Amino acid sequence: MRLLRQYRFMSFVLVLLAIVAFAIAELDFTMLFTGVVLAVLSWYVTEGPRGRTLPPWATNILTLGALGLAALDFLASGGLADAMESLGRFLLWLLLIKLFSRRGERDDRQRLSIATMLVLVGCLESVTLAFGLLVFAYGGVAAWTAMLYRLSHGAETARASRTAAPGFAPPLELAYGRRAAPQFRGLASVALLLIFAGSALCFFLFPRFGKVRLNQLVGESVTGFNDEIDLRRGDRISESRREIFTVQWIDPAGEPVKSARPLLLRGAVLDRYDAAQERWMARRSGAGTSTFRTPVDGGAVSLLRTAGEPPRPPFRARFEMRSVASEELFSIYAPVGISTSVPRTISVDPRTLLLRDASLDRLGRPWSYELLVQTVPDAATLEDLSLGRREREGRNSGFPVPEVAGIAREILADASRSMNVPPEPGPDATPAERWTHGREVARAIASWMRSRFSYTTDLSMFARVPDEDPIVSFLTRYRAGHCEYFASGLCAVLRSLGIESRIVTGFIAMEYDESGRYYVVRESNAHAWVEVRTGEHAWTAVDATPEDSLLEIQDRNRSVADRFRWIYSRLEFLWNSNVVAYDSGSQQEFASRMRSGWRDAITERLESVTRRMQDVAAELSLGQAGGFWFTTVGVCLGAAGLAALIVVVRRRRLRTALHVERLAPRERRRLERHAAFYVEAVRTLSRAGFEKPEHLSPRAYAESLAKEHPAVGGAFHPIAEAFYRVRYGGHAPDAGEANTHLSLVLALRDALAHNSRPFRAD
Amino acid sequence: MHRARCNNAVVSASSSRPKRSTRLLKAGVVYIVAILAVGLAAGGRPNNLLVWTFGFLLAGLLVSGIVSGFMMMAVHAVRVEPRRGQVGQPLLIRYEIANRSHWIPAYDLRTDERVDAAALAVAGPAWIMHVGPRERLHAEAVYRPLRRGPVRLGAFEVTTAFPFGLMRKSLRFAQQGEVLIHPEIRPLRADILARVTSGGVGGQRLSSRPGGFDDFFGVREYRPGDSVRSIAWKRLAGTGQLATIERSRSVPPRVRVLVDLRTPTASLRVTDGEDGRALEEQAIVLAASFLALADRLGYEYALSVAGFELPPVSLRKGHFHREKLLSLLAAIDLDAPRGRGNGLGASEERATVVVVHPDRTDLDIAPPDAWHFRARELQSLVEIAVAAAAAGAEART
Repeated sequence: MRLLRQYRFMSFVLVLLAIVAFAIAELDFTMLFTGVVLAVLSWYVTEGPRGRTLPPWATNILTLGALGLAALDFLASGGLADAMESLGRFLLWLLLIKLFSRRGERDDRQRLSIATMLVLVGCLESVTLAFGLLVFAYGGVAAWTAMLYRLSHGAETARASRTAAPGFAPPLELAYGRRAAPQFRGLASVALLLIFAGSALCFFLFPRFGKVRLNQLVGESVTGFNDEIDLRRGDRISESRREIFTVQWIDPAGEPVKSARPLLLRGAVLDRYDAAQERWMARRSGAGTSTFRTPVDGGAVSLLRTAGEPPRPPFRARFEMRSVASEELFSIYAPVGISTSVPRTISVDPRTLLLRDASLDRLGRPWSYELLVQTVPDAATLEDLSLGRREREGRNSGFPVPEVAGIAREILADASRSMNVPPEPGPDATPAERWTHGREVARAIASWMRSRFSYTTDLSMFARVPDEDPIVSFLTRYRAGHCEYFASGLCAVLRSLGIESRIVTGFIAMEYDESGRYYVVRESNAHAWVEVRTGEHAWTAVDATPEDSLLEIQDRNRSVADRFRWIYSRLEFLWNSNVVAYDSGSQQEFASRMRSGWRDAITERLESVTRRMQDVAAELSLGQAGGFWFTTVGVCLGAAGLAALIVVVRRRRLRTALHVERLAPRERRRLERHAAFYVEAVRTLSRAGFEKPEHLSPRAYAESLAKEHPAVGGAFHPIAEAFYRVRYGGHAPDAGEANTHLSLVLALRDALAHNSRPFRAD
Repeated sequence: MHRARCNNAVVSASSSRPKRSTRLLKAGVVYIVAILAVGLAAGGRPNNLLVWTFGFLLAGLLVSGIVSGFMMMAVHAVRVEPRRGQVGQPLLIRYEIANRSHWIPAYDLRTDERVDAAALAVAGPAWIMHVGPRERLHAEAVYRPLRRGPVRLGAFEVTTAFPFGLMRKSLRFAQQGEVLIHPEIRPLRADILARVTSGGVGGQRLSSRPGGFDDFFGVREYRPGDSVRSIAWKRLAGTGQLATIERSRSVPPRVRVLVDLRTPTASLRVTDGEDGRALEEQAIVLAASFLALADRLGYEYALSVAGFELPPVSLRKGHFHREKLLSLLAAIDLDAPRGRGNGLGASEERATVVVVHPDRTDLDIAPPDAWHFRARELQSLVEIAVAAAAAGAEART
């Protein structure tokens, strides 16, 4: 039976899904390719009447080999996370071996169990959208296959019990009713729907006690941004084209413009270098963080303590998140105001002027936010933002690697030739003069580095020199690296020269979309640069990384897929913000939303949908007519869906009434097209109280009708005859005949209208 | 309880509601352990995919119970009992499964009969893959009867482990019934009866069939009630008197099988290692085999049982007669007190008497020209080919 035959294929699909899911979780495309090819090969080798399988001894040897490899892998790596990875690899190999081994019922169970374990191990390894979608798909297919397995297993068991007594028990004759397969699909779909609903409920209500730090959980796989720099890593950095967010730079007149310089979007300030760990880190921020709550109406909240407008009308930077949902709100230096799409609590660190989403609730992370920025902030504004706290002088100078001091002096001597200021400030220089001098020195050294150092993202070609700090190697030996090395080198040199400086990590916005009039920030735009102190509360960004190299990489990786990548990025944003980052705070908010009532939630959702539609309208440049077009498209889609539903229901009714489910599709379609008049006639009779018994043929029914109601029977008789011609004679009526059939049905209605006596056929 | 006869089966329907029960299977226990493990992992680390997986597994368990519960809520089953079976032959018990639900189909249904394991062994349970809403299906289970006599059928269960095989839901239908198991029939050598009946225990008999198909016997005076077709028309024309032509036809050999069960089981003379009850059963099997052989050869036959009061059975042939005699043999209760009569009665029928003794021959039980067999001789009377096949099968075993 067809339903039982589906089991083999579905179990294969299940195993294939498990392999793909695990490979995606591991981001191992070699594994993906190998696993899929071997799995597909196993289908061709083992299935069918001439299928061949591995003998048990070969299966056992291969299993032992896989176990040995996994053990070696674990011993080589160590650590619990790697143990899970080793376990997953072992399960994958075991699954592939099992695909080529014999196909008994016990083997089927083992295969499905191993596949499920593989997916569970993948769950411990990854939380990405692609893997999550594969897990959802796996769950649905697994439930479906388990139901098919019950039927297949039942049939096999019943057959086996009969064949256990050969010559005694007659062979099994499967007992099943009509429409077993469609009804199975219906029941399985309902069961799946209930399971998914139950799992969603459990997801929302599962007790959670901690908070999810998205960046810690998913690490660099979500974004290239990192809140520390580890110089021990010497691998190749992937140049991912995934969109993180877009930034629109709006001038005080309200016009989106392209900035003359790339926008540096700050995410973390690293002001401490650990020479032992060779890593830049953020110094623990003390108290004094101020928090602000953005209003419900989407208006801006001022980050200044003093009331009143800032002295100059600010620029605005509008951020639209595409994929990442992080707590850091990337900002241009010294924002003076912020507005968010949904009310959020924003914290500002007065020392670094970094913004962070400090909301207790995690649901609906800001989809978009807008910063008010002064391109050249005055001292009063900066003092206000810094809450008047002055950074202790000398705190950001001095470098723990003594070798850098000598190198710095040499670089300064070389670079000072192009400087307008002397290498050393005067002994009686004021702090302002020292800061100005430091900024000029920093710019000169940055320029010097740009002209002499080369940019590369592939560090695998540079061997680590034992007992030598990577910054020293970068400055003296290799003179090549990526932005983290340029920033580290510049900051180390400046600090060694006594110039206060720090590293800032974030993104650099340089890809401007002329049609949308915004910057697209991708994962590969993650960047690091240096800030030099230029005032009591003022810092100035100095970037030593060659901008041309960044632009070249940007252009080199550009592809057609970039135009459509935003769709996946948006889905990823929803996934990260609503699923991956769903924690106790989100749960509390969800509960409060439930308490506040469905009406508010629905209203809020409607408003959100409206905003999205407006955004899409703006994206597609539909202008004021966007609403009209959306309504038109919606109505058309709704009408098309309704029409499709009516057609499907009508066809199903016709098939049931004509008993043509088991006919060939072509013949079925022919009858659906030409024999509908008969079904209509029978339905008309039924509505009038003349129910046609199942056991009577159309002709016999017409005769039995004619005995008691000659008029009705007489009207139905030609319909039955026409039906016979179409159904069994293979006759395809033309348009004229079809009209005749319809007129026969109308005549039957007339006959019924003049006949009110109920009738019951024998 | 409503009972209705249907050809060779009896349909009994119970109006009482079936008893429901749920049992967790081994796979279900493993599944629950897996749920707990995933739940612990999900609680221990901030991984929402694990939480969702935990929810999915938990919901799967609940939905499994809900689906199977709703499915079984509308299932109703009736056993269509067979009236008789035979030792060594498959006994088919049919079940009528009805799904009274309007919406929910039922899948993976299996029937389990609560029977005496010493009397019936399961050779293939009834399995129904699907019963649609408002549908009614028949499925049959195969049993192997192990002993002769009436077998009581008590309650039977309809179970399902659908959809995921985690738990088994059962409906227990208390439907009492009974099946009469005939003794085993061994294929005896065909020449045995021919030898014992040689000597003309058959003969001629006046035929009651009208028409000229049989041999001419004589003419007698017409008696009211004679068939018009038997009137001697030529004689009537010649003499003017009504006369009837009598015809005769040959009668097949006639055999009466007498089973000597007068001696109580405990008083049978058996050698070491022999079981008296087994010898009696073997004697019954031999008698049944004689009856079956006689039926196969077209003889007229009858049965008498010495030691038990059975209704008198005249010499007949045919399927229904055979079934009737086998049923008489099947119904013999060897634990009942024995009588001393020989069971032959005072009839003066002309038939070869074949006597079957469980332990040893007693010539006094039958007329002097009777043939006596002992139960121990059963194996030697079986057809050689069948005996060889059986011996081969035993050797293989």
